[in-house]
Amino acid sequence: MDDQNIKVDRMRYSKNTQSSRLALLAIVLDVLFFVSIYKYVCKDTTRSDEFYYTALMGASILYNLVFMLAAFLSSEGVKNYKTNFSYVMFVLAAIQIARIFIYPVKAHSQPGLMSDFQFIRLIVYLVASALCLVAGALINLGKSRALAAHTASLEAGKA
Amino acid sequence: MAELSLKHIDKIYDNNVQAVFDFNLDVKDGELIVLVGPSGCGKSTTLRMVAGLEDISKGTLTLDGRDITQTPAKDRDMAMVFQNYALYGHMTIYENMAFSLTLRKEDPNVIHKKVLAAAEILDLTTQLNKKPSQLSGGQRQRVAMGRSIVRSPKVFLFDEPLSNLDAKLRSATRREIILLHKRLNATMLYVTHDQTEALTLADRIVCMSMGHVQQIGTPLELYLHPDNIFVASFIGLPPMNIFDVAVKDGALVGKGFTVQLTPEQKATLAPYNNKEISLGVRPEDISEGGDMVMDVTTNENLGMNTLVHGHLASNRITAKLKGWTDYRDGDQVRISFGRMHFFDKQTTQAIRKDGKAK
Repeated sequence: MDDQNIKVDRMRYSKNTQSSRLALLAIVLDVLFFVSIYKYVCKDTTRSDEFYYTALMGASILYNLVFMLAAFLSSEGVKNYKTNFSYVMFVLAAIQIARIFIYPVKAHSQPGLMSDFQFIRLIVYLVASALCLVAGALINLGKSRALAAHTASLEAGKA
Repeated sequence: MAELSLKHIDKIYDNNVQAVFDFNLDVKDGELIVLVGPSGCGKSTTLRMVAGLEDISKGTLTLDGRDITQTPAKDRDMAMVFQNYALYGHMTIYENMAFSLTLRKEDPNVIHKKVLAAAEILDLTTQLNKKPSQLSGGQRQRVAMGRSIVRSPKVFLFDEPLSNLDAKLRSATRREIILLHKRLNATMLYVTHDQTEALTLADRIVCMSMGHVQQIGTPLELYLHPDNIFVASFIGLPPMNIFDVAVKDGALVGKGFTVQLTPEQKATLAPYNNKEISLGVRPEDISEGGDMVMDVTTNENLGMNTLVHGHLASNRITAKLKGWTDYRDGDQVRISFGRMHFFDKQTTQAIRKDGKAK
């Protein structure tokens, strides 16, 4: 067995921690995002255009919960080289990018509600979170396909 | 190549309790030495001193001529297998076996090759992705052995590795250790209190009692020529029958029985004429038919043999008779002794052919 084959063979007994950790990092970045946005949006509760008490905010909180759960399950899935979870991670990444245009852009467009620095920080969190998900998904796709091919060749060898 | 030498090793604890007295042993390359003795005899302490887990109070320990008396455990190039397996429950079998090499930051590909090779030897290939809790006791012990094998140590140390297993599994794992030793041809030190393990595994046995070495020899030497009453009683199952007898006019006279001696035995015991000695007879050296009468108390059928317990006059006696017998309490059986062992009553040492106690 050459070094490349050994590297693939090792995957039979080791977890895909790289993809898994990237998914967990995506969760951390998302937490940073939503903790930050609530902080910045809720500065003045007396304002008539306050974001805090809207249905959108409720939906945002719910989505954060769903995101964390889905990303965590994906992290566990890709740890075991499950291909399907890569696609879940792609979808989550796409939604993270879409979220930029919901709260951050809306809040930033209202005068005095969110500074440029705060706006950029939120975008960085969401983009970084999406990038982590995409990277984790791509790594998992590559590894799981290589492992599947290797396992198939081993099975063929046995037969 | 791994030759281990222990010279005048003592172990004295801080509270001045001495656990090991003047232990001397030369272990040849590829030899399997079994340290055997009852609980508290110092065998595990000796093993732990060899491993570097206990300080050596006095004496020197050398490995291939290099003095390692003060060398830390991690630098001794020895691997130890413990009674309780000492596996990491949260890691898979693969990770458990690879762990020590991972800590040493060895190349992952090299680690992989070594783990797979060890798993192949121990028939664990299909278990590598499981956690220790999913394996049986025997399999866990094999994993513990595998973890030692991957390190390719110079010396393997086993501290009662089969004690946690049931009788059937113990027997199977014992056979695996024999095969493993043959396959690796490695130097091994094995501690057990089970004399069956000692007899079946060892190239040489070190029999210990109260911190002292009682005898070192091959299993057959210890069985046929025990140096003293302790070794005679400890090695062999059931233990040897010991009787107090007097040497009188070419015969051994015990309480309620007399045994005639052969000319050779007479010569051996000539210096003990009209003196008391201890007579040892193994249960398997007692056969039916003869002058002595044994009063039976219990009868244990083992299949091919029967253990018959009872009294020879006032002496307790156990005989291992051939075949299936059905004696009952109160029955009388005529018996005779085959091979006999003589021990000096004062020193408990064996009396050899020259008539001297060893």
